[in-house]
Amino acid sequence: MKLNIEGLLVYFPYDYIYPEQYSYMLELKRTLDAKGHGVLEMPSGTGKTISLLSLIIAYQRAFPLEVTKLIYCSRTVPEIEKVIEELRKLMEFYSKETGESNNFLALALSSRKNLCIHPEVSSLRFGKEVDGKCHSLTASYIRAQRHSNPNLPVCRFYEEFDAVGRQVPLPPGVYNLDDLKDFGRRKGWCPYYLARYSILHANIVVYSYHYLLDPKIADLVSKELAKKSVVVFDEAHNIDNVCIDSMSVNITRRTLDRCQNNVDTLQNTIHKIKETDAAKLREEYRRLVEGLKEANVARETDIYLANPVLPDEILQEAVPGTIRTAEHFVGFLRRFLEYLKSRLRVQHVVQESAPQFLKDIFDKVCIDRKPLRFCAERLQSLLRTLEIADIADFSAVTLISNFATLVSTYSQGFTIIIEPFEDRTPTIANPVLHFSCMDPSIAIKPVFQRFQSVIITSGTLSPLDIYPRILDFRPVTMASFTMTLARTCLCPLIVGRGNDQVALSSKFETREDFAVIRNYGNLLLEMSAIVPDGIVAFFTSYVYMENIVASWYEQGILENIQRNKLIFIETQDAAETSMALEKYQEACENGRGAILLSVARGKVSEGIDFVHHFGRAVIMFGVPYVYTQSRILKARLEYLRDQFQIRENDFLTFDAMRHAAQCVGRAIRGKTDYGLMIFADKRYARADKRGKLPRWIQEHINDGSLNLTVDEAVQLAKHFLRQMAQPFRQVRSTPATKGTEQVSTFVVWKGRWRHGYRCLNLAFQSQQLNNFVA
Amino acid sequence: MASLSEEVLLVVKKVRQRKQDGTLYLMAERIAWGPEGKDRFTVSHLYADIRCQKISPDGKAKVQLQLVLHTGESTTFHFANESSALKDREAAKELLQQLLPKFKKKANKELEEKNRMLQEDPVLFQLYKDLVVSQVISAEEFWANRLGGVNNTDPTLFNNKQEVGISGAFLADIRPQTDGCNGLRYNLTADIIESIFRTYPAVKQKYSENVPHNLTEKEFWTRFFQSHYFHRDRINTGTQDIFSECAKQDEKGLKSLVVQGVKNPLVDLLSLEDKTLDEGYGVSTTQPSTSNANRTVKESSNYAIIKRFNHHSAMVLAAGSRKGETPADQASETSSTDGNSRDSDFFQPPVKKVKLQEAIEYEDLQRENRPKTVALNLKKSDRYAHGPVPLQSQQYTTSQDIINSVNYIRHEMANYKPNLTQVVSSTAASSAIVALSPGGVLMQAGAQQAINQMVPSEVQGELKHLYVAAGELLRHFWSCFPVNTPFLEEKVIKMKSNLERFQMTKLCPFQDKIQRQYLSTNVSLQVSFSLVCVLSVVKNGVR
Repeated sequence: MKLNIEGLLVYFPYDYIYPEQYSYMLELKRTLDAKGHGVLEMPSGTGKTISLLSLIIAYQRAFPLEVTKLIYCSRTVPEIEKVIEELRKLMEFYSKETGESNNFLALALSSRKNLCIHPEVSSLRFGKEVDGKCHSLTASYIRAQRHSNPNLPVCRFYEEFDAVGRQVPLPPGVYNLDDLKDFGRRKGWCPYYLARYSILHANIVVYSYHYLLDPKIADLVSKELAKKSVVVFDEAHNIDNVCIDSMSVNITRRTLDRCQNNVDTLQNTIHKIKETDAAKLREEYRRLVEGLKEANVARETDIYLANPVLPDEILQEAVPGTIRTAEHFVGFLRRFLEYLKSRLRVQHVVQESAPQFLKDIFDKVCIDRKPLRFCAERLQSLLRTLEIADIADFSAVTLISNFATLVSTYSQGFTIIIEPFEDRTPTIANPVLHFSCMDPSIAIKPVFQRFQSVIITSGTLSPLDIYPRILDFRPVTMASFTMTLARTCLCPLIVGRGNDQVALSSKFETREDFAVIRNYGNLLLEMSAIVPDGIVAFFTSYVYMENIVASWYEQGILENIQRNKLIFIETQDAAETSMALEKYQEACENGRGAILLSVARGKVSEGIDFVHHFGRAVIMFGVPYVYTQSRILKARLEYLRDQFQIRENDFLTFDAMRHAAQCVGRAIRGKTDYGLMIFADKRYARADKRGKLPRWIQEHINDGSLNLTVDEAVQLAKHFLRQMAQPFRQVRSTPATKGTEQVSTFVVWKGRWRHGYRCLNLAFQSQQLNNFVA
Repeated sequence: MASLSEEVLLVVKKVRQRKQDGTLYLMAERIAWGPEGKDRFTVSHLYADIRCQKISPDGKAKVQLQLVLHTGESTTFHFANESSALKDREAAKELLQQLLPKFKKKANKELEEKNRMLQEDPVLFQLYKDLVVSQVISAEEFWANRLGGVNNTDPTLFNNKQEVGISGAFLADIRPQTDGCNGLRYNLTADIIESIFRTYPAVKQKYSENVPHNLTEKEFWTRFFQSHYFHRDRINTGTQDIFSECAKQDEKGLKSLVVQGVKNPLVDLLSLEDKTLDEGYGVSTTQPSTSNANRTVKESSNYAIIKRFNHHSAMVLAAGSRKGETPADQASETSSTDGNSRDSDFFQPPVKKVKLQEAIEYEDLQRENRPKTVALNLKKSDRYAHGPVPLQSQQYTTSQDIINSVNYIRHEMANYKPNLTQVVSSTAASSAIVALSPGGVLMQAGAQQAINQMVPSEVQGELKHLYVAAGELLRHFWSCFPVNTPFLEEKVIKMKSNLERFQMTKLCPFQDKIQRQYLSTNVSLQVSFSLVCVLSVVKNGVR
């Protein structure tokens, strides 16, 4: 159907639209109009992605000079592929409606592991291996060497692409990962490099967060993307953690040992080159004297996305003399390394700020701040000059140099913690230096600065105002949409007591209490008897789950549950868990029914959907607080309090509740879906916890379901399930008045009620549209 | 005794039933009991009818054996031979134990199913009475496309009974009981043993290797229950345990499953993340090492439990679907264990595509696509309600004719002059008035009296049954078209004779009865006539 969103003609590839989709588009349009950033929350399963795509593409078509590109970031590979498929659907609709094939180019970009078609390289199992192998075949100096020695192995796909691939742009269309591979096979071109090259002129790029947020990758892949792009971060409820992760560094003794080897290798290579090809090193030296002017010019003319690891100031200067020659630099690295080693020899925990660290390093080994800042850049230059084949081997020294640059660049927002041993095993020495970022805004700042509109969206972003605060940006729109429902297809219940009135809670003091564990078991047992097909249960941590499973096993609860359903349990091994997941789905599929025991914050809770019968009930055992004893967390909380005036408890609760919401939200993935959401902890009943749940869940928690016993919950659940099991009646009627008010006069109503909930079918009459456009 | 050529497997004398002494016979297909001194059986049950047997506890004074039938009835035999009562009972029990499972599978599932259907559906039951009991059609024909639905489409499916899965908790069902002197007693039934074998092929293999050459059956199971294999939380201690090998095999199986990976790309956690952080980056420290060296005893025992649960559930699931799916499974296995990624690429996209499509579908936003049906377009709905009238030779008129005749009539009307002398006689006129006034003969039909007020309900009921029965017969009849096999041809002929018989035995008597009793109420007659008409049309069609 065609929609009129404040004067913008939007093609929407379905015959009906949910009202929240309409309002979502409205808000989105306003954000784009204002050329600002937005935070939008809309429940999962209400067609967020298709609304986003429909509106932004319509906008792109209407104002091709205002918005040139859509950069859609999602979290997982399946998500990326889903977005592309939705896009394909939309594009098909466009060409059907308009009758012309549009010249949009949309493509997904993923790592080499998912795109490589080289028979040997692609058979490698791990991403890192694929990257390393690919690099050893395609690096520029390797290819240069091949001129003199044609026997060196070659990747024919890359050679072919390099020879002709850049001249002809990728023909317009929608390319998923498999399509790219197909195309690559047909042409004999490397799909990965083809995709990386094509994103520069593509209208729509779909890839993972890291390509924008991780400075190491963003610098390679995304820095030339156009400024007039709209960036969308979907499933962005965890975006702060992604930012922080990309800027944090951990250094262990093992890292230092490997680093030592790297430095030795560097030294040897330098010696060798000096004997054979001294001119090369001289050339490098000359380049470094001239400074990083090129990069600076590029950034000033706004061609490049800024790299937070490469701060502006250093671009204006030349690399300091102390580390300009290769030998000096290696010597400098050695000194730095020795210093780090000495720091790791501590017996007690040390926490210090970056300036403290810099002062200490100056006092101890006379390393100045300035050369440290150039460390990362200098190392890159050296590695290029020395023609190192396998960069992956030098990850340790790269890590150290990145650390050096970061620690000397940012005096705020980072902390250094040196722990001589793990808290749980105080007898085993395992010193670690954590250099951890506490300010997610550092990593994301270049994105906000460079791109015209950045949309942060997810099913669970409540409370909305916290994201602009911790990411330090000013949104022009912030909105949370609820889900219009024909039938209340979600049933949140807060179980606070066992049948014996024991308060249920996962809080530390009662964690080991047998009564609580037994009651939790009882809850699961009772639910397993009344809920059809699949149940997913989440625990607050892996250790907690292991303990509970063991004591349920001892008490014979698991045996009783097995009478009703099969039991599958998430393990720390991803491959094992994948298998368990598949078996779980199989058991749900064939009617036997199963229970999946899983962990909040785990991979399952973040990436796997339990649609329809794969999850008829989700049970959240306890409140998934992060492990609060960690020093890094404490430092971050302190920082949040000092810098953003966010109280520790507020943040902890916010963090726990967003994960809880993620977990329970896994079961409802659409309006035809239904599911129970059981919060098994009495603390959920408190207003401060409840209030932080997304609006669309909060709305359905009534006072009657706040502090239930297991039995009461079972009764309510039975009632709910019985109602939901009734055939879904389709009701039709005229649209409610509330809907009409939202719609401008150009919209002709063909409104209907569908599945009982309000869906507006808005359509232009061509006549009126013409009038309007004219 | 009874003149039977059956093979008698066991004879037990002095068995009382209903306080009467007698003899118990276990034959090849049934169990029977006859009172002493009589040469007939008063009790006789086919094995297939027996659901289970129960025995009295050992300590009881009376030594009894109870047979519970599928119908819910039960028969109790009391072994009264003082010296050998227990032995007799054991012998009978053992034999029954062997015999019953054989017949259990034969137990007439269909019959139960039919019974259930008849009980649940009163209309069907009535139909059954009307058609089968009155021998219009045979029971076989009646059920032929009733039970159908699933089975009828494919005769091979009909024989293919659904495999019964395994309870997930079968190990839990083996409740150990203390025997009072510091030991445990496990009760194993044939079902449980089968479950164990089906779920754990490794145990079955051990069983066939060791029993009876090395171990007796009892010893084998004793060891099984003592093994760490059975008690998942115990840490493997000795290697002399014959089941330690099973555990290793299971481990291997689990590993190979894990290595095989998953077919559904949406649940593959390994390829979920696009770009993982390089080693050394990120806030989360290295996971509290998962290597076994660092694990405490408790942790690794917990880990073992979790692993075993996953394995157990996977095995139970696999045991349920093992049969019938093997060829498909193997095919997919070969493709995925190949290891060559190009091959897996080749196989993967379809699954992936389908899953992705499923994931992005919003069915409720789409205009619903019902299967397209052709609307029934009735030009004359009264014809549909009353059945076809015998075709009359009609002269079709052209429009010119019609216009002419209209003109003619108009002309006639204009020139109409009543001829008052030649009207009807006064008597005829008054009788016509009477007939046309309320209560008159001709006004009865127009009085809009509902049929349910005019005829008693039993007649209506009968009519309804007849209607349904006729419908059923017609359904059978029409289902034969197009007649393209000799079998169908035969069936058509048969159905036609059935229809005729139905008309003779059911419709005609009913029609006569109605005519006799309710001559005036032509409404009900119409209905029954229309039935007859339908039948006659059908018969014409057959010819």
